[in-house]
Amino acid sequence: MTPGPSILIIDDDKKMIRVFATSLETAGYRVFDASSGQRALEEVRTRNPDVVLLDLGLPDIDGLALVPQLRVHTTSPIIVVSAREQETDKVKALDAGANDYLTKPFSVPELLARIRVALRSHARIGDTASTVVTFGEYTFELEARRLLRGDRPVHLSPTEFKLLATLARHADEVVTTNTLLKEAWGSAFRTRNGYVRVYMHSLRRKIEEDPTRPKYLVNESGLGYRLRTSGDSITR
Amino acid sequence: MPFTESQGSDAPVIKKVSKAILNNELVRGAGRALGALGLVAAATIFGVGVLGRGDITNVTLLYLFEIAAVSVWMGYRPSLVAAVGSALALDYLFLPPYGTLIIGSGREILTFGGMFATAVFISSLNERLRKQARAARQSERRMDALYGLARELVDAASADELCRRSVSQVELVGSLTACILIRRGDGFARAIRSGGQVAVETEDVNAANWAAAHLEAAGLGTRNCPSAMACYIPLIAARGCIGVLSLRARDQAGGAQPRASSLIVSMARQIAMALERALLSEEKQAAQIEAETERIRSAVLSSVSHDLRAPLAVIASASSTLVEHGDRLLEPARTEMSRIINDEARRLNELLKSLLDVTRLQSGGLKVTHEWESLEEVVGSTLRRVDERNKDRHLRANVPSDLPLLRLDAILIEQVLLNLVDNAFKHALSEQAVEIEVAIRNGEAIVSVIDHGKGVAADEVTKIFDKFYRSEDAAGGGLGLGLTIARGIVEAHGGRIWAEHTSGGGLTVHFTLPLSPAPPRLAGFEAAERASL
Repeated sequence: MTPGPSILIIDDDKKMIRVFATSLETAGYRVFDASSGQRALEEVRTRNPDVVLLDLGLPDIDGLALVPQLRVHTTSPIIVVSAREQETDKVKALDAGANDYLTKPFSVPELLARIRVALRSHARIGDTASTVVTFGEYTFELEARRLLRGDRPVHLSPTEFKLLATLARHADEVVTTNTLLKEAWGSAFRTRNGYVRVYMHSLRRKIEEDPTRPKYLVNESGLGYRLRTSGDSITR
Repeated sequence: MPFTESQGSDAPVIKKVSKAILNNELVRGAGRALGALGLVAAATIFGVGVLGRGDITNVTLLYLFEIAAVSVWMGYRPSLVAAVGSALALDYLFLPPYGTLIIGSGREILTFGGMFATAVFISSLNERLRKQARAARQSERRMDALYGLARELVDAASADELCRRSVSQVELVGSLTACILIRRGDGFARAIRSGGQVAVETEDVNAANWAAAHLEAAGLGTRNCPSAMACYIPLIAARGCIGVLSLRARDQAGGAQPRASSLIVSMARQIAMALERALLSEEKQAAQIEAETERIRSAVLSSVSHDLRAPLAVIASASSTLVEHGDRLLEPARTEMSRIINDEARRLNELLKSLLDVTRLQSGGLKVTHEWESLEEVVGSTLRRVDERNKDRHLRANVPSDLPLLRLDAILIEQVLLNLVDNAFKHALSEQAVEIEVAIRNGEAIVSVIDHGKGVAADEVTKIFDKFYRSEDAAGGGLGLGLTIARGIVEAHGGRIWAEHTSGGGLTVHFTLPLSPAPPRLAGFEAAERASL
């Protein structure tokens, strides 16, 4: 049996680590843990885990500050775990390079779903096939810059294309409004989140059957958007 | 001490203000003196022309009459002027040797001295009468004022009303603007004028404090803090100074200057006693309310801890069953125990979440981030979360596609919607759909969450927003905080929230969000983009 992907859990709560390690090991992952920022950096350097699970409430170091430090050593997906009161930290962590988030308390199926998405998304990077993302009856060809519904093309404006492309590159992961602004308009527009809302509004009308109940372009209040491509139900 | 005369000897003269009065007095005094001398001249002309130099007896009587008349009409000092003038005229024109002020014989000295002495005597007599009349008038006014005050104070419903009435009464007495400052600790709790409460800062707090601390009038027209804009008279009651009465001139230029006259001081004493009673009874009421609040709080606390302990107890027994007898349980039983633990833990989490939310709302810890947001997305996100949590329930939404963007906190507004929908689900049967409707009306967005359930009693429509209020037949034990939190969030956005009966049964909760000026528009963007293509 080949060893499964490895996961590093960074959390200071030993019991939490025990519970998640048990579930993750049962699901076929290899699990390491670190209870401090310092240990976490060592583990990342020496073991190069496939996924990092980072609790933002660490005792010795600000979890937010740890994200860019981890990024120096690894390109593996980082999933931040936060308490409910840290909504703004969540956005900051995502903007600093984290790939996704989980809000405490979360269930094991939620955790497993996020890890699967993160691994899949990571595998897509550098993979030429990843230039095509499918969701529902749509095929989005990034290289050819076109969106097909079945075999009929859907017209997208240049900005709409850029937005959808950004979401597609991080398919099933949450992409913050800041990232979308940066990708579609450039960093000078970082504070103009109204632009994103306006374009997502028209994009939803082109893609979604019922724009108030979007199936693909889902909004995460206060965070950003997620392009849902798979059936992995992700509950908050 | 008269209160209308502005000549009080005890008041130090304040240069600028008193100058006008001083001039005024001088001019008036001079006018009167001239008047008196005029009468002397008239009497002299009559004496010389009609009576003749020889008729010294009648001339003397004429002068005496004239002096008495001046004394009656013009007062004491003009009558003295008239007496001196008359004596000199008598001496010069009627007593030989004529044409000089020299008096020739002892008889004539007697005539001259007798007339002067009689004149002064009449004047003094008149002056005393006048003073008595004035005193009687003042005492009457004083009685009127105090009686009027007592009548006004007796049925004042609150300390504030009492102050308002007192101020009006004081203002009736002098043409001035009055204000009562109610003391609290070393400062002042509120300031009340005849129109109602005003900011304490409209008064000179330093001077008022001085008056309160030294139990002595301070401010304008006194020796203490004379540069203040008003005169401050302490309201002294049994337990000390409970406030300060402030008096200021009605208009800036001229008018009567406010001062602590004896009438005002008497009124202040009366006000102080009445105000003390009113304040004491208010304090007593406040203490009662406090006790009542405390009682409710402890009732709530015990009910909350019961609500929190219930799921915890279930989790404890289910998990201990698994720990102790896990190996002996059959698979379905083990699964059930685990599911129970899972469900109850979720419930506990929800309860704690709402408790935390309400605490944050009340401690002012709620931070609202206003960003351009689309209500369609907020509603969409709510629908998704509700759909995931309640697979067997129906939630419909009707959002117009041309809604402008609003500046709001999406996380918080989503929380409002979730709370309202949860509440609707609790009160509607499972097959009944709940609807979210969004509309733009009168410059605001109105969001309505409509259920067709049992609804609430008529008197509950407002009560349901109270903290920890749960309707009698509430299914699904929440803490009764959902609507309270919703209200707090909506109000923090400058909106309103209210409930009404759904026609045909059920409850509809509406909330409004103000439209923000100049939202980014889609049409403009598309056009700009097309142009750039």
